[in-house]
Amino acid sequence: MTLVARASAATRRPLTWLTVAVLAVLIVLVALPLLGLVRATLSDGAGDTWSEVLASPMSSALFWEPLGGSLVVGLGTGLLSTLLGAFLAWVVVMSDVPGRKAIAVFATIPFALPSFAIALAWESVFRNDHIGGNPGLLASLGLAVPDWLAWGPVPVVLTLAAHYYSLSFVVAAAALANVGGDLVAAAELTGASRLRVAVRIVIPAVAPAVVSGFLLAFAEGVSNFAVPALLGLPVRFQTLSTRLYGAISTGDEVRGYVLSILLVLVAAVILFAGNRITRNRSYSTITGKAARARTTRTGGWRLPLAAAAWAIVTVTAILPGIVLAVSTVLRRTNSLEGGFTLHYWTGASDPSISQGMRGILRDPIVMQALGGTVGLGVAVALGAVLIGALAAYVVRHLPGAPRAKGLIGLLSYVPFLIPGVALGAAFIAQFGAPVGPFGSLYGTFAILVLAGIAASLPFAFQTATTSFGQVSAELDEAAVLTGASSPRRFGRITVPLVSRGLANGGVLVFVTMVRDLSVVVLLVTPATPLLSMMTFRYASEGFTQQANAITLIIAVISVAATLLARRLGDRTDRSTS
Amino acid sequence: MSALRTRVRPALAALLPLTLCFGLAACATPGADADTDDTTDWGSVGHDELVELAEEEGEVVVYAFTSRIAAVEESFEAEYPGIDVVASDISSSELITRLASEHAAGTSTADVAYVSDAPVVVTELLADGVLVPYLPARLADVLPEEYREPLVANRLSTKVLMYNEEAHPDGSPVSNLWQLTDPSWAGKVVLVDPNVRGDYLDLATELSLRADEMAAAYADQFGEELVLDDGVPDAGLQFLKDLYDNEAVLVDDTDTVNAAVGAVGQDDPPVGFTSYSDRRDNEDEGWALQVASGVAPSNGIVFPAYLGATENAANPAAARLLIDYMMGDDTETGGAGFDPFYVAGDYPTRSDVTPPADALPLEELGAWEIDAETSAEHRGDVADFLLTIQ
Repeated sequence: MTLVARASAATRRPLTWLTVAVLAVLIVLVALPLLGLVRATLSDGAGDTWSEVLASPMSSALFWEPLGGSLVVGLGTGLLSTLLGAFLAWVVVMSDVPGRKAIAVFATIPFALPSFAIALAWESVFRNDHIGGNPGLLASLGLAVPDWLAWGPVPVVLTLAAHYYSLSFVVAAAALANVGGDLVAAAELTGASRLRVAVRIVIPAVAPAVVSGFLLAFAEGVSNFAVPALLGLPVRFQTLSTRLYGAISTGDEVRGYVLSILLVLVAAVILFAGNRITRNRSYSTITGKAARARTTRTGGWRLPLAAAAWAIVTVTAILPGIVLAVSTVLRRTNSLEGGFTLHYWTGASDPSISQGMRGILRDPIVMQALGGTVGLGVAVALGAVLIGALAAYVVRHLPGAPRAKGLIGLLSYVPFLIPGVALGAAFIAQFGAPVGPFGSLYGTFAILVLAGIAASLPFAFQTATTSFGQVSAELDEAAVLTGASSPRRFGRITVPLVSRGLANGGVLVFVTMVRDLSVVVLLVTPATPLLSMMTFRYASEGFTQQANAITLIIAVISVAATLLARRLGDRTDRSTS
Repeated sequence: MSALRTRVRPALAALLPLTLCFGLAACATPGADADTDDTTDWGSVGHDELVELAEEEGEVVVYAFTSRIAAVEESFEAEYPGIDVVASDISSSELITRLASEHAAGTSTADVAYVSDAPVVVTELLADGVLVPYLPARLADVLPEEYREPLVANRLSTKVLMYNEEAHPDGSPVSNLWQLTDPSWAGKVVLVDPNVRGDYLDLATELSLRADEMAAAYADQFGEELVLDDGVPDAGLQFLKDLYDNEAVLVDDTDTVNAAVGAVGQDDPPVGFTSYSDRRDNEDEGWALQVASGVAPSNGIVFPAYLGATENAANPAAARLLIDYMMGDDTETGGAGFDPFYVAGDYPTRSDVTPPADALPLEELGAWEIDAETSAEHRGDVADFLLTIQ
């Protein structure tokens, strides 16, 4: 077949057009902002920023050492999160450990807490006298806490993993739930040991989910700024994210952009490596024969496993949640000495407390912001899941075209790594001027939604990829025989089967949007108050209790959304199986 | 930041809005979409006329780096009921990026900016004409020269050396900055990493710009002339290198400095560079922060908060009226427009407003006043130097 003939055959396939559409959206939302960064670093005024960063007397402190720091943090966070998340997913889905349902709820909470909350909880226990001020719990009991345990890479990795294992848990649990009991039962009939079943059947079947969870935790780990800044800086432990935010906030934006482009390249290498692990194998576990996941009897291990699982969720979800809640009723910031008060929630203005700031529940803007935040979260979640699902579908089903697929995969993975303020600036440049007959989107709710979708695509895409990977082609082929059209097959067969995975992706997107600030900060107007903006406002003026109270509201909304999505997911499960 | 100025024609813009304008590289023609062709000489418009014009506009949009703008909004709207204030508060660096991007895209933007990070304002906003100055005529006699240019400043904030007055009831334990490089202060000096926050980079830059004073203070302290290390350009940077080598603790946030230095009940608390005005939270937070005065050659810096109108302001008269309002009136405390900023440890710029009583007068504080334009030229080099001594 000639090239022309092939091309014309391709244009007759709807899938080709879908691919083009997906690529077009990704190019507008992700590639162009990224290209904008590249152009800014190459323009006249940028001088020789690239050589300053890569080969100059300061490159060591500016790039190479922070690169090492980022790799330690990213890989450490990714691996530890995967380990914790996969373990809990197995406990919740496949074991007979008591309290599984509650563990499943608690395991999603850490992601809904702000990353600095867990870091602050770490400090309140392990802080030593390195920087002065009030010591942590251990030091005040007279125990000497070494610097490596109080500050630097060890606490940074541990606290980030405590935060992001939720991602691995959500993705792995959804995948495990689809590993049919029949597979496991068949293997057990052959006399295989439980370990052998796990290694040969269960783990390979969920490998793509495990890789997806790792990739998400890695990207979150390397892009996180708050935790390395809080726990790393005191011992001069730097990562690329602390360096790039530092460059941007001290007015050297071009240097920050160069660092973020380099961070994108690092992530691309990790993505490529991750995809190689799962390439060219089939992971379909959803076949025509639906079967419930099989519970493994853990016998004598039942209680030790339960203890381990409960310990993980207690330390990462329950205790930080309690610390956060208590911090909102402390009269004096982070100190029990001042006693307790509900003033920061419900109090009227009192000039002697936080400069006369009234309790947050008395502030009408908080209620307005609550509505705006939920609306934005839902709109972004729907949009991101739609695009993420279409992108994942195209990558799985389009024959050939490895470059287009690779590009879709990459563009769907890197948005985390574009600094929010740079993404916002790029959106102003793109949508600030009127586009054709549509007028300017700038200053509207729509541009917030678009920016949110761009920033949260990785969650939607990775969860969708995992879900689609599990749907067996035989179902689709059977439907072809009945004469069902392609959109009909997609709507009636594929979508219901992947709905649980997509709902999970939607929740992750929603949670990210309701608590994230950096993406929208350049685009919001006072007409659309958001809760995350209010936490910033309070925190930057030193009103810690009010900021934490809003954070707690955000966490409660996030957990509610998670529970709601699970309920919906269970309902669709019943209707299709 | 380069100014890649490309005129984008509307038809082309419709097809390729994305390939030509990127990030912060300025494109389109500044002012192309402005609602007004503003050639008014605002300096010659009297106050009553300004109010009349502003009331016709009916609205003013302000971006501010502090949430205290909410109080300004409330009192301004009470004073001028016909004018709606729309206030956004975001951090200075985000505010600067946002204004520059909006200006480049020719889109709707704020009318007024209230912004700190003075040196960055000079390079990112004033150089490209994003902000324009407005000096209300009534201030001619009461606003000293240095607070009129390049934009008017309504108050000064500080980053100065502070200590724990509970542990040191007899006054500052430090009388010369160079003492902080002595082994007795090893690991006992806390500051926010100047490579992370602009105001601390301004502090580091000022130390370098005041190299002669730093060298003299060295001689006073140690009785011998300072000898610079290889590759260290001046005495101020030598001080920073010695401070870093003396295990100075870098943190991410001024509140972390406050808690480390100020927390009561410490036997051997560190000293640190932070905002004098945070002393007002001592009782609320259980701190004992006090400023170290009488430090040779200086205890830190004071720097301005700027008020400017945007070049493309949709409400140019209301913008000027708000700036005028926030500059305060001639009462002792500056009146309602200045009230949210009348805080001990910050300093009003107007010579006729009495500084708050609970803080040292500016002349006794002994901090260096930064010059935004000089600092802007120099701070990139200082940031680079700091990266070589980590």
